[in-house]
Amino acid sequence: MPLLQLEGVTAGYGSAPNIINGVDLEVEAAHSYCIIGPNGAGKSTLLRAICGVLHPRSGRVLLDGEDIGRLRPDQVLARGLCFVPSDRALFPAMTVRENLEMGAFLESDKRVIAERLERALEIFPVLRERATQRAGTLSGGQQQQVVLGRALMMEPRIIMIDEPSLGLAPQIAQQIFRTIASFADMGISVLLVEQNVRRGLNAAQSGIVLDLGRKVLEGPAGTILTDPRLRELYLGRQAEAAAGSGDDGRA
Amino acid sequence: MQWVQILILGLMLGGVYAVMASGLTLIFGVMRIVNLAHATFILLAAYLTFFLYEFLDVDPILSLAVTVPVMFLVGIAVYLLLFPRIENSPRFVESTVLLTFGVALFMEGTMGRTFTGTYRLVRPTYGTESFLIGDLYIPKGQLYALIVSAVLLLLLAALLYGTRIGGSIRATMQNRTAAQIVGVNVRRTMALSFGLGIALAGASGTLLSFLFPFFPASHWEWVPIMLALVVLGGLGSLQGALIGALGLSVVAAFVMTELGPTWQPMTFFLALFLILLVRPQGLYGKPLEA
Repeated sequence: MPLLQLEGVTAGYGSAPNIINGVDLEVEAAHSYCIIGPNGAGKSTLLRAICGVLHPRSGRVLLDGEDIGRLRPDQVLARGLCFVPSDRALFPAMTVRENLEMGAFLESDKRVIAERLERALEIFPVLRERATQRAGTLSGGQQQQVVLGRALMMEPRIIMIDEPSLGLAPQIAQQIFRTIASFADMGISVLLVEQNVRRGLNAAQSGIVLDLGRKVLEGPAGTILTDPRLRELYLGRQAEAAAGSGDDGRA
Repeated sequence: MQWVQILILGLMLGGVYAVMASGLTLIFGVMRIVNLAHATFILLAAYLTFFLYEFLDVDPILSLAVTVPVMFLVGIAVYLLLFPRIENSPRFVESTVLLTFGVALFMEGTMGRTFTGTYRLVRPTYGTESFLIGDLYIPKGQLYALIVSAVLLLLLAALLYGTRIGGSIRATMQNRTAAQIVGVNVRRTMALSFGLGIALAGASGTLLSFLFPFFPASHWEWVPIMLALVVLGGLGSLQGALIGALGLSVVAAFVMTELGPTWQPMTFFLALFLILLVRPQGLYGKPLEA
């Protein structure tokens, strides 16, 4: 049985039409997936509908067979599913260490928290140097590391990351993606949403392509990248521009 | 030596002002609610203190043990009754101004009907006595109010920085989404914070009940004062509220002695104007997002 399973999930905001339209999805344990698709395809909305921030209008979100579709975000999190939004939501007035420790908010054992903190600092050594600095004063790349480190502090089974490279210099983004790629080896499933197709698929084992709120393609990341249908479905509209400028596939 | 005397009087009131302002700024910081009804809750607690004193002979400072928990529960009830309904309003902050204005009118009317419009003042013996240290005259009531305020603010700090609930309140103040992500039950935190803010209003009401005479409509005198205090510090900033309260109460004390009591309320309006002109986000505030 897959760890997480979506069955015909539809979701949207307020009284507006559905943004995602009947998406089926299976997420295996310790496996990474990159969700790609043009703007407005519903990538971020899909993550929100899984993590409890947005409740699906219909369909089921099953974690270990339990429907988590109507749970609050903190209840979803308590089941090991954590969400990292694209705006790097951190606590600006708290120090880096406090931010990381907030990641273990649901854990009360101080020893466990200290262990997790040590592990997070090993993965993100820069944060050790910055431990007492206020998170709001860090650079974008460092803030992204705080947010990812905080997510690891939750000991998640699945981590959902929305556009981690937003606003980062390419080199910094590369580094972030290398770290994300290593999460699956740590036994954590990854659902990564990324605008940059090549970079996103390189950091994941499988690719999922969304268009207009529907899943249109799914398979091993390498295969998706070279699939002619991707070009047609996703890059079709900008194929000339992208091919002409040697762009690496940014939509 | 006269300026030392004025400074002392100003600082002593500043403590009570700080308790008032901290509740108001906490409510704004966590929930983005501009609580125009804050002063009516202060008055409600003042009345509660008054009746406890008149009928049961309970010392006003001791009555904090009743007024603070009662007002905490009142706050939670008011929050749950009114605010979840406008939670998804696209103009949430503006809606709260209207909603709490309505609450203020309702409270004023109800208190007027129930408690009549007579001026009340709780009169414990220390309300009119004072210590004389050298040439300096220290009113006992104000001194006790300052001490109680300091204790309350320290307790508030201990709650915010030393407990799990406090952690969730600070987290929600700094970034609601982030708080949600790390597993804070944001809804419960908001209800608790509103209760806490109203409990602080209750505490300041109890202290004010023996410092200033009050009647149901006198909350309007306090609204501009409190707004000036929290806007100076920056809406939503607790340390800002503290500094705003102490600073302005001292300035107001000097204005009162130099220019006369008529000018004292002007201090707060003038401060409000100046802050909004020069630094609208206040000393420690962050600019309000549209």
